[in-house]
Amino acid sequence: MSTVTPSTEHAPEGGGHAHPKWLQHHFDTPVHQFETAKLGMWIFIATEILMFGGLFVAYTIFRGQEMEMFHAAHQQLNWKMGAVNTIVLLFSSLTAALAVRQAQVGDRKGTTRYIVITLLCALAFLVIKYFEYAAKLEHGTLPGRCFGHPWFADHCIGGGAAVQPLPVHGLTTRASMFFAMYFMMTGLHGVHVLVGMGILTWVLMRNLRGDFSKEYFTAVEVGALYWHLVDLVWIYLFPLLYLVG
Amino acid sequence: MSSSTHDHDHGHDDGAVHAHISDTKFMLGIFSALIVLTVITVAVSRVDLGAANSFVAIFVATIKASLVATFFMHLRHDKPFNSVIFVSAFVFLGVFLVYTLNDVDTRGAIDRSNGTRIYERSGEVAPGGFTPRGDMGHGAAGAHAAPAGGHEAPAH
Repeated sequence: MSTVTPSTEHAPEGGGHAHPKWLQHHFDTPVHQFETAKLGMWIFIATEILMFGGLFVAYTIFRGQEMEMFHAAHQQLNWKMGAVNTIVLLFSSLTAALAVRQAQVGDRKGTTRYIVITLLCALAFLVIKYFEYAAKLEHGTLPGRCFGHPWFADHCIGGGAAVQPLPVHGLTTRASMFFAMYFMMTGLHGVHVLVGMGILTWVLMRNLRGDFSKEYFTAVEVGALYWHLVDLVWIYLFPLLYLVG
Repeated sequence: MSSSTHDHDHGHDDGAVHAHISDTKFMLGIFSALIVLTVITVAVSRVDLGAANSFVAIFVATIKASLVATFFMHLRHDKPFNSVIFVSAFVFLGVFLVYTLNDVDTRGAIDRSNGTRIYERSGEVAPGGFTPRGDMGHGAAGAHAAPAGGHEAPAH
């Protein structure tokens, strides 16, 4: 370790240590860099929990105030689709964890395979979500002044002030509140699925390029942590929105 | 400085990353446990237990989240400080929830006939709720500060 290698870029500043090219000069050792990256990711995860936390607090309060309405409105959600999506996300979390494992043992092909499976699961999740949202829009449960009207109906597009929310499926217009929570919570989560897909695609490209090895797989680990966060949030969203309302 | 159980982490000081490598079969076991818990939470929600339904749902979700964080996210073999950060997020979420509930619970009840919040004793519009349309400012503190013509159409 202490031999001077003149060919190494950082040798002069590094006090004579040979640096792998992925080790940035402000870190002493690879493990220092790895632990720092993870610490940063965990702090970010904490801020994400607090961001979603705002919506969970709002949900708790609104539900506490209008229990019967929330219970009646949640029955409009398709719990079977929610359950399938839960299994899809749990499985994608498993494959993300296995992608990290294969990176740790230096199996580049295995990492590629598991990241691709994770991405396909993410896509499947969004497709199922699309069908759920489409059904909601068609049934007119989009919150706001068009509640009770089919979305894209002529009289709702023009922005006419005369449009008033209507009862739908035996729900009062106040049920608009439940669907506002539903769309905000699953919508913010859906954005996280999209961002997670972007991160995993970036990790996949770097893996295909051969950036990672047994010694250096930080991006795989940190990218997987983000993906697990997406799974964690859904673990709470599914029972709260689809099952108990 | 370290016992034999942790020598893959700190036993040799070459500065290289020696993260715990999870066993694939063990990971599959965790995944199976997550699926079983999902089935349980769906099954319990089909039975009407009243308020206990919510409790069971949150409880099972928390077990699932713990499994994901502990094993899939490697907190089990990570530095304990990462776990402290993770758990502290939930502690602060608890503070957020408790103080907000305390605030909201002292703001009067919803008057279902017109969707406003009122104090049940006096029948006055409670602060913090929205006021009825066309009657902006009634009963709210802002009404005192408004000029004499305060009941005209809002400026915007």
